[in-house]
Order: sequence, then C-alpha cells, then structure tokens
Amino acid sequence: MAAYNTIAFHADRCDGCGDCMTACARAKTASDSPRRARLQVLADGAGSFGLAMCRQCADPECVPNCPAAALRKNTETGIIEWDQAKCVNCLLCTVGCSYAGIVLDEVAGHVVKCDQCGGDPACVRTCGNGALEYLSTARIYNEVGALEDLFVPGLAGCQGCNTELLMRHTLRRVGPDTVLAAPPGCVPGMGAVGYNGMTGTKVPVFHPLLTNTAAMLAGVKRVYKRKGREVTALALAGDGGAADVGFQSLSGAAERGEEMLFLVIDNEGYMNTGMQRSSCTPYGAWTTTTPVGRESLGKSQDAKNLPLLMVGHRCAYVATASTAFMTDFYAKLDNALQASKRGFAYLHVYSPCTTGWRFPPRKNIEVARKAVESNFVVLWEYTPEAGLKLTHPVDDPAPVKEYLEALGKYRHLTSEQIAHIEHHIVANVAAVKQQASAQP
Amino acid sequence: MSAAAPERGFLVCDGNEAAALAVALARVDMVAVYPITPQSSLVEYLAKFVADGRLQAELVDAEGEHSVLSVLQGAALAGARTFTATSGPGLAFMFEPYLRTPGMRLPIVMSIVTRDTLTPQSVWGGHQDAMSVRETGWVQMYCETVQEVLDTVIMAYRVAERHDVMLPVNVCHDGNYLSYGTARVELPDQDVVDTFLGAPDVNWHAALDPERPMAVDPLTGGAGGAGPALFVRYRRGQCAGMRHALDAIREAHEEWGRLTGRYHAPLIERYRMDDAEYSIVTLGSMTGAAKDAVDGARERGRRVGLVKVKTFRPFPAVAVAEALRGHGAFGVVDRSVDFAWSCGPLYREVLTALHGITPAAPSQSFIGGLSGADLTVEQFESVIETVRHLRDPGPRDTVWLNAQE
Repeated sequence: MAAYNTIAFHADRCDGCGDCMTACARAKTASDSPRRARLQVLADGAGSFGLAMCRQCADPECVPNCPAAALRKNTETGIIEWDQAKCVNCLLCTVGCSYAGIVLDEVAGHVVKCDQCGGDPACVRTCGNGALEYLSTARIYNEVGALEDLFVPGLAGCQGCNTELLMRHTLRRVGPDTVLAAPPGCVPGMGAVGYNGMTGTKVPVFHPLLTNTAAMLAGVKRVYKRKGREVTALALAGDGGAADVGFQSLSGAAERGEEMLFLVIDNEGYMNTGMQRSSCTPYGAWTTTTPVGRESLGKSQDAKNLPLLMVGHRCAYVATASTAFMTDFYAKLDNALQASKRGFAYLHVYSPCTTGWRFPPRKNIEVARKAVESNFVVLWEYTPEAGLKLTHPVDDPAPVKEYLEALGKYRHLTSEQIAHIEHHIVANVAAVKQQASAQP
Repeated sequence: MSAAAPERGFLVCDGNEAAALAVALARVDMVAVYPITPQSSLVEYLAKFVADGRLQAELVDAEGEHSVLSVLQGAALAGARTFTATSGPGLAFMFEPYLRTPGMRLPIVMSIVTRDTLTPQSVWGGHQDAMSVRETGWVQMYCETVQEVLDTVIMAYRVAERHDVMLPVNVCHDGNYLSYGTARVELPDQDVVDTFLGAPDVNWHAALDPERPMAVDPLTGGAGGAGPALFVRYRRGQCAGMRHALDAIREAHEEWGRLTGRYHAPLIERYRMDDAEYSIVTLGSMTGAAKDAVDGARERGRRVGLVKVKTFRPFPAVAVAEALRGHGAFGVVDRSVDFAWSCGPLYREVLTALHGITPAAPSQSFIGGLSGADLTVEQFESVIETVRHLRDPGPRDTVWLNAQE
C-alpha cells in the first residue's frame, strides 16, 4: 500500500488570520472570498482554531455515500477526486464527512473539496506562521518501504531509542551490497554484530576497534574497487569513537578521500558504556564522568563541533541531521550515499538518548525537535562545490531553556550555566553561518 | 635510493630493498605504509615500485601505524594479500590492531625492522620491539642475511596462507645491520614465486563480502551458554595454527630450496654442532660474526658449535632441545632484555625448552648489541671462552656485553 502526502495543521501556530482561505479561493475560483475556500479556519470559542478541510481519508465516508460514483480515491496520489460530470448534486457526500471536507459552494452550485493543488498547496505557501505544513514524508515510505530491513527483528536497544530507527532506515536505504562497520557502542551493543556466533545483521558486518573504523573500512573498500565491484562501505559509529579515540583514523581516511559513508550517531557521550563524557558532550551536561557535586556541575567545556571539523577536511559531503526531521535526513542520506562513491561522505545525526539524558522514552522525537528549534542543533549540508548551506534555518529560535528543562542531565544548571549555553548557541550558529557565507 | 632493480638475476642491495623486492615478487594486493626509522626506506621502495607500475598494488599512505595495520585487516577480510613494515615506536602504536590480527586469523605479513624501544630514546637496532610482542600470537622469523630477508618475506606468505595456519607473520630483520647493510642477492624468477605462492586465498574463513554475508567477530564469551566454549575453541584454534606453523615453515623452506637452490634453515640452524662440547645460541644478523668466532675457535682446537634460532614464534622447542642435548654448556646471546628475569628472552626460551632434561647443562645469558651497538667477532670469542669454562648448571648473572666493566 502506498503512503500519501498530507497537509498537516498545527493548531498551536494558527492565529486565525484567514490568509490560507483567501489564497485557496484565489487559486480555485475567480474570487478571493474566504467563504469560497476549500478549507475553513474556525474559531473554537476558547481562543484557538480548528480546521475544516478534506483529510483525503484512507477509508472515506464520502465515496461510498455517493450514489453516482462521482467520488473516487486515487490510489496513486491518495487524493479523493470529484468528477463534476457524474455528480448529481445530492449532497449525500457532505453528510458522511466528519471533517466538513466536502461542502456545497453555493456560488458554483456544486460541492467542492481540496485537491492539494497538485502537490504545491496554495494555503501552505501562504501561511506565514507554519500552521499549515505539506508533509511529503510519504515519499520515504513509498521509496524505501518495500526495501528489505537488513537488521533482524528484536535488536535490544533501550526503550524509545532513536538509534535503532536510524540504523534500520539507513541500512534499508543503503542496501544489501554493503559492508557495515559497527564500532563498539550502542549499535553493536543492541546486537547488530551479534553474540557467540549469531548476528543481528543481514549484510557483512564487523566490529572494528573503537579506534580504527575508518581505516578498516578503507581497506575493505579499496579492495572491492580494485576488483571492480560496487560495494558501499558504511560505518554506523558513535560520537565518542569518532570524535575522540577514533578521530585520527577518521581524519586520515577523510584526508585521503577514502570512499565510504561514515555516519555518526551523536548521543553526546559514551552511552553504551554507562554514559561517560565524550568531546561531543555539551557544556553543563551531567554524565557519569562529569558528575554533579559540590565542586563541579557537569561538563565544564563546550562540545567539539565534529561536523565542522569534517568540513575542514573538504570531504566530498558533510551534513548534520536529526531524527526529528526524517525527510531532511533522507535527502541527506541519499546525497551522502552518492558522494560516498567518489569520496569521503560524513553524516552527523543527533540522536537523543532516553537513558543517558534522563527523559521519558516517549519524548525522544520531541526532544530532538526542540534541539533544532532552539538552534541547539543546526541542520546543514556541505559539499566542496556548493559550500555549506543551512537546510532548516531557524531564524526565530525557541528559548533553549525549554529544551534544557526537558532533560534530566541539565536539571542542576544554574542561571549562569544556562547563560553560557545561550551564548554558545549564538556563537555556534554564527560559526556555521560564517562557513555558509564562505566561498566554496 | 638506487635505480630500479633488474627484474631477475643478481643485484647488490640492503635488507630494506630486499624485503620490498620480495613484496613485489609476491604480487601483494595492498601495501599500507608509514615511515619510521630504520624501516623508512623499505616503504619508500614499495611506494616507488607502485609508482613505477612494478608492483601493481593499492598503496595506502596511512596517517599512522595504527591505521596501517587496520587498513590491511579490512583489505585481508576483503580478500587481499597484504604487507607492511614497522619498527620500535611504530610497532608500539600499532599494538591495538596488532594484538587482534592473529585472532582474526588474517595472513598479513609484516616486516619488523628491529629497533630498540624507548626509553632511553633510541633510533638504532635491537630486538626489543619484536620481543615485546612475542606473546601475541604472530609468527616471528629472524633473518641472518639480506638474501634471507628476501627469501623469507616470500616464504612468509606461503606459511601465513596455509589453511591449517592462517596466522600473521613477522619477518624480523635487524635495524641498521640488515636494514642498511648491503650484500649481493639473487632474485628469484617471477614465475618461480608465482608457482610457489599461488593466488591469494586469505578470506575463505572470515570475509567481509556482500556475496557471503557474515558477521566478523561478534562478541564471544560471557559467563554461560555457548560463549565460553566457543571462546576456548577460538583460542585453541590459534594454538593449533601455531603448532602447524612449525611444519608449514619447514615445508616452505624445503620447497623454496628445491625451487631456488637456496636452503635456509627453517626453525634452527645447527652450525658445527656434531662434535661440539659446548655451544652458543644466536638470533638474527649477529650470527655471522658468531660463526666467524666459532670458526676461529675451532682452528684453535676448541670444540664449540652454534645454534641459530630463526623461528622464534612458535618456539621450536623440540628442535632446540635436540640440538643442545648432550653438547654440554651453552651461552645464549640476546639483543634484547627480559626485564622479568634480568636475562635475554631467548635464553629463557631455551631454558624452558630444555626443562626436564638431565643432567642440566651449565648455561649463561649474554645481552649485547643494544641500541645499535655492534656485536663483534671478538665479543663472541669472549662469549665462547666464558661458556667453555662453565661448570655447574646453577643460576648465574647475565653478562652484559658492550658494558664498561
């Protein structure tokens, strides 16, 4: 079954201005009367707004209600299409719909409904608050849903862990002609490489040392290239191994332009070994080696910006991503995969750790999203040809306090420490933007 | 750097070039390199051979020895015949992947151009580097001459890749004395080497290959279940591989002798031992001077012999015991130190090999040639004289040659 793109409504961002209705009316009729729009923003009487619009239901009421077969679900696009030539104006369709998604346009003299403007909805384009969003994540499902999940079921990640999500999505997309390096950390810790003769992965997989992932993969890849075989060399590494003890081999392989896709899952520390500090651990964070006590309050240094360091290597591709922005991640995964066929591709994915960061498992995506929305994490991509570009610029960031308060590892922060983090965020965004403004 | 060597025939070269020539003749698929004294010219030769198309191998200029060996591990798991070389601190830095290579049963060949270890700071020869890694499960052979370096690097692949061995091999040649010492060597024909080695067959047992997907080195062990027995199986398998290596080394030397006419002693060499009443035991390039000293003593009527150990790992205990048994006192000359026992490491190995043989022979440990010091014929003459006068089998202090006493 295909998945479809949808228009999402974020009620918390809607101020009821009605611009979306005007835009719809203009796009679909000769008038700009909101009354003729195919979506209606309605006050709920309690200060917020609701949306009346066709949801393009999977199991629609309107379609079977129609006695004239004028409505049909297009299984390609997911749009419920209305055929004027068949319509008998009985309005039975409007009776079935729970969303007031198909209504009588009195001026036109027949029912009307949303058709998503062929993939570029006028309402979404107009909304200045981001209350309407055209979600195209269905592309991911349609493109990779049929591909085989190359990890076995039952990997033993912590509850709510996004790393497993990331691993499965990545390997499914990268495919079976892959050699996977899983250095010590959460990825093999949850059983990806396996135990006592059994494995959790359906492609060739190995434990490199924590220190030599990029070097071992380089050796593998060079041999297949020499043999004329198309094999993707993929690393799923943690931030500690990449930024600390494995940094030399990472830097060496990047400098030599070894052809591989090196994906770092950044959970800001050595989470698999019990939540110790890495150089990617942010300032102020509690870890088991930056504990909170009378003499110290978490980590006293800022995190190393590893992806920017990789830009300094002029890798074929460098990008940051977040598990809360999977469309963005997928686009970057595709780009990184392509780049890995001509050089060193580096993808740095922020992946909150429910266990080590002290927050409820159900909040993982929310935490990841808050990190981006507060500019704690900046999403960008880089190639030597095009330079660095922000892929999800956040010009009006949410207060980082909201992000920090969601995480137990920052529970002890003083106002001075929070001020330090706020200052660091500004400096970090400036550093990324400075790189973005540099000539490629 | 000399001009490109001829494809066959004779030439004069040093041990580093001889090793590089052997690598080219072995048609290695990948060499990973990083410079360190006294090995540097060896990898420079390799890089030049690749640049000239004489060696059609992938050349990885890695950013350090740790990655050098790691790259080769990946390459071997993808099916490549591989080579590198290192010395002293480079070997120390390489230790993490080095320690892991035998357990993965990867038939990587690596020259150790031996160098004394820090500290005191030293860039000169000595066996301390190779001796420091003697318990890691690599095969180690020590060469006496430049020709033996060339021949042994080639033979190392035959040993390493034999299916009942599948272990990495160190070919050790002495820093300074063999690395830079030149001699006339004979180059084997390429087709002889091709016949001798055959095609690389290095990852039939463990591969990183999408056509044969498997997990390489998942976690093994734990407190219960199948783990402990599986772990023991792997460890015992390594020991079996080492035992088989003794036979593989003998077989390789014999076949190589048949093909080239050059028969090197595979495990140990017995020199003038038949009627020897006492003997000295040597390792590596010092053996030349030691043999001269033995010859001189023989001319003076002394019944002295020499046993050269070539294969140090696995230790040819039976051969050593048979060679020394019934020949009276012996002295062992080491170019490195066993700190635990204040003697030479080879001395301790020989004592262990002779354990249980009665009557116990008088013996003494001699340590010399550290940090580039020469081991001269005169020094060996004094060693021979000391051994000649040994009477009781009891413990004795180590004699430190080159010491101002």
